Amino acid sequence: MPAERRQGMDHPHHDWSPISARAKLSWPNNARVALCAIVTLEHTEWELPEGSFSADQAGGLGMRPFPDYPRFSHREYGHRVGVFRVLNVLEKLGIKATVAMDTQTAEHYPYLVKHCSDRGCEIMAHGVSGSQMIHGNMSVEEETVFIRSSMDIMEKATGRKPRGWSGTDYGESERTPDLLRQAGFDYLCDWVNDEQPYPMRDGLTALPTMLEMDDLFTMSTRRVTIDRFAQSLKEGFDSMYRDGATNGRLMTINLHPWLIGQPFRIGHLEDALSHVMGHDQVWAATGSEIVDWYRNNPPS
Amino acid sequence: MSLPPHRVDYSPIIERPPIKWPNGEHVALWIAPNVEHYEYMPIKYGPRDPWPRTPYPDVQQYSYRDYGNRVGFWRMLEVLDQYKIRSCVSLNLAVLEHFPEIRDAMVERDWDYMTHGIYNTRYLYAYTEAEEREFYRDNIETLKRQTGKQLKGMLGPAISGTVRTPDLMAEAGLIYHTDWMHDDQPVPINVESGKLVSVPYSIELNDSPLFRVNYEADYFAEICKRQFDVLYEEGAESGRVMCIALHPFLIGQPNRIKYLDDILSYITSHSDIWMTTADDIAEYYIKNYYDQAVDHGEQYRV
Repeated sequence: MPAERRQGMDHPHHDWSPISARAKLSWPNNARVALCAIVTLEHTEWELPEGSFSADQAGGLGMRPFPDYPRFSHREYGHRVGVFRVLNVLEKLGIKATVAMDTQTAEHYPYLVKHCSDRGCEIMAHGVSGSQMIHGNMSVEEETVFIRSSMDIMEKATGRKPRGWSGTDYGESERTPDLLRQAGFDYLCDWVNDEQPYPMRDGLTALPTMLEMDDLFTMSTRRVTIDRFAQSLKEGFDSMYRDGATNGRLMTINLHPWLIGQPFRIGHLEDALSHVMGHDQVWAATGSEIVDWYRNNPPS
Repeated sequence: MSLPPHRVDYSPIIERPPIKWPNGEHVALWIAPNVEHYEYMPIKYGPRDPWPRTPYPDVQQYSYRDYGNRVGFWRMLEVLDQYKIRSCVSLNLAVLEHFPEIRDAMVERDWDYMTHGIYNTRYLYAYTEAEEREFYRDNIETLKRQTGKQLKGMLGPAISGTVRTPDLMAEAGLIYHTDWMHDDQPVPINVESGKLVSVPYSIELNDSPLFRVNYEADYFAEICKRQFDVLYEEGAESGRVMCIALHPFLIGQPNRIKYLDDILSYITSHSDIWMTTADDIAEYYIKNYYDQAVDHGEQYRV
């Protein structure tokens, strides 16, 4: 439906709320910025499943005809090599990762599930695979099964119900937030429109990602170099740290190990996050920790 | 005969009679924030797809732009206020209806507005003549009701238009059109009735095409300063126009904002600049130079 010209948003999922008009959000210990580091672990399928849809063209030498060895294996690099570099950098700096894991990874890479759990990472749901995204042409039945089976498989594979959802390639239909809530999810990272958490309809909490702090968007889609990406992370943090003195800010970054875990890139990530963690009033936390704090300490 | 679209006389800038801005300034400089709303579930109407990445909705791209209204606009505003900039907004008029805090902030600062259509997802391409007439009526009425201002110009919705657009704009009483990237000065646009001019906007000094690909804000600052230097030098002889086009969802990102400060600090450190709006440039030009430009253009007609 086209928008109706009246006050507020042109969809039912959350209210209009300009940051200038909000009460003060305070983080634990008077932190100015809450840092949430999402590490996205998605399996890219050898062959695109019949009927699936994906907007994702990243990896290899771009989309090529089947069989696409370079793209498939480039993405697989993340699971085999890159993820360990990324998690090591985060651990060294005292940042607990929030791992967005798809069900194919959870079921077929038990080593990674255990590795992430052993390191205290939170694991949130991330759909089925890197090549299947939720989209507006899915039927309600298909989408319901997609979301509910993600919940069930993640619970079985990790031993806990995932609380957070990050859609593959930020894919949603008009129904997705409602179906996520009905499936028992608490928070959602698909909406990239804010620097604070905010309430979505019926008790779901939005934990917005900074799209420009998503390595895939900035370095793969936009083709920005790693040194400039790292500089933007630092510059972005500096502004948020300044603005966070009057109203707390949320800096959610999204990291794809097959990309940022490459040897020539990893040092730039460490450099940028060292800059962030070198400041006193930063709270590095997982998605659930941030959402719980936000719910229990409403802005006032 | 001129070549299509038969709207503009050729006029080489080195042969033109000089333009003098009100106080002999070298450059008339205007800042054009694009304050926009893209619909969550638009109707695809005409040849362009607002959300080509996925079936609708495209929550990633929708919410990326919505960030501009929730957060980026306010961060951009702090910097514009610091330099006391009176912007000339390229405005999707429905923003006034959806987001009253944004309307109030703009009205309080006495900004000027050119319409950028109702929504950035409703293009003009497929409009009939009657629909387009109604479009201008709606635009004029909405702006007046919401801000008290008379609508004078347009940057087409997402820079779209029809071949009739300049005629219908002039018929509705608008005086300038900024879809033309053809000059460093205003230029008369031939229309069936009334007077219409182009005022230079920019798709070069514009955060949107730059940050869609692999440019970053330090480069944006660099090109704005270089552009200003050349126009400032040339403007000593004959006044020039410079526009910096902004999008709050891009320039208002925390990693970019300091570069807007850098650009404005550099430019405003110069004397002899006319910090103005497209409304004021168009009115001044029509009053003082429109007839001269039409007369001058005659000699190049073939």
